[in-house]
Amino acid sequence: MKRKAFLVDTTRCTACRSCQVACKQWNKLEADSTVNRGSYENPPDLTPMLYNQIHFIEQDRGEDLRWLFINRRCLHCADAGCVKVCPSAGALYHTREGLVAYNRDKCIECHYCVNGCPFDVPRYDARRKVTKCHGCSDRVQNGLLPACVKACPTKTLQFGDRDQLIAEARAAGKKLYGEKDLGGLGVLYVLDDEPGTYRLPKNPAIPASIFFWKDVVKPLGILGFWGALGAAALHYVTVGPKKIDAPDEQQHKGGE
Amino acid sequence: MSNYVDRFDAFDRIVHWTLAVSFILLVLSGLGLFAHTFFGYFGLFGGPQQGIMAHKIAGVVFLVCSVLLFLRHMGELCRFDADDRRWIVKMGGYLSRRHEDIPQGKFNAGQKLFGIFSFVAALVMGITGYVIWEPTAFGRELTQFSLMLHGLFFVLWMVGMIVHVYLATIGNPGTLEGMLYGQVRKAWARKHASKWFQKVAGNR
Repeated sequence: MKRKAFLVDTTRCTACRSCQVACKQWNKLEADSTVNRGSYENPPDLTPMLYNQIHFIEQDRGEDLRWLFINRRCLHCADAGCVKVCPSAGALYHTREGLVAYNRDKCIECHYCVNGCPFDVPRYDARRKVTKCHGCSDRVQNGLLPACVKACPTKTLQFGDRDQLIAEARAAGKKLYGEKDLGGLGVLYVLDDEPGTYRLPKNPAIPASIFFWKDVVKPLGILGFWGALGAAALHYVTVGPKKIDAPDEQQHKGGE
Repeated sequence: MSNYVDRFDAFDRIVHWTLAVSFILLVLSGLGLFAHTFFGYFGLFGGPQQGIMAHKIAGVVFLVCSVLLFLRHMGELCRFDADDRRWIVKMGGYLSRRHEDIPQGKFNAGQKLFGIFSFVAALVMGITGYVIWEPTAFGRELTQFSLMLHGLFFVLWMVGMIVHVYLATIGNPGTLEGMLYGQVRKAWARKHASKWFQKVAGNR
């Protein structure tokens, strides 16, 4: 199956937050109680009850206020840090469409994915199980659009064949964020400024220590275990054990 | 007159075997977090959450026992003399069948190095284990780095443990008894730890 992806054209977003509401409705997520912080942004970050969020970037420029909006969510990386660190096979996984979904029954509550994600997306809910945007994999599998995309009135959010979305954006002369990073992100952004302004890493990558842990230490462990066992066995049959040749004292003294 | 000489007292033996049991529990309960292949080992503990809990408890026991053993033998372990250097250069004579006569104290140079490694590794495992105890309590970088170090020292420890078990059992017949019931044969002591044997025999 061809890989599917989201395309988020932030230049079209009016921050109506229909996507937030539609997501909550489809996934049956309750409302978070929040406080007024003097911004329309609400809640201020992803929560266990909020799988996608419109992040407001409010730049005070004297007379002017610059408003930038971005739909934050799981970016459905092909080379996903969360899937890489998850010890429970199948708890976090790629669907046939290339979305990163999860099976909460298999989640072992280790929280590794929270640290493994380069974008700080996975959250744990009250039952201490992983939650995040799963790209409405249940809807997508049945030929429907993800709830957020369905609800978006401005075509900020699009969903479809990844190659086709990229080709269309290119034809329209738009620069994409995430085309090649982490094996290609499943959420491509059209940004109006530098990625850093949107709190997105410029060159997102699997953290070095996670790479070292999973791709160096682990193979080293296999090598070390069998290597040490092999070396011990080889030593025993070649050099042999250090036996005690000297007789015991009592025998030595001839039964004194 | 006995053919045996006292080597480890009851306290040492109990702490050592508590350490050994907790090590095995740590390996069995930790392997499931190390690689998917070993995920089934969590079944021994009744499930992943219970396995992780067992890992934490065994980890604390292991750290306490490691510190106790090291403190008791610190004086012996951290002192290296010319004989120890010769032992290290000749790899303890383990590369040939011939007996190398390198007088050693209560612990030979290899055991001293292993003792120091064990203590340092126990501290590294303890500190990184504390950081990842609640994986979201500390910063991301620190947690990621701790997970990596925890895995790296597990690998080093696995290798060290295989060597330790081999040398203390079939590799050097007569050694295990010292840790089982505390006494080794005098012939063993004369061969493996002659300086120590002279000291304890001379005190008599």
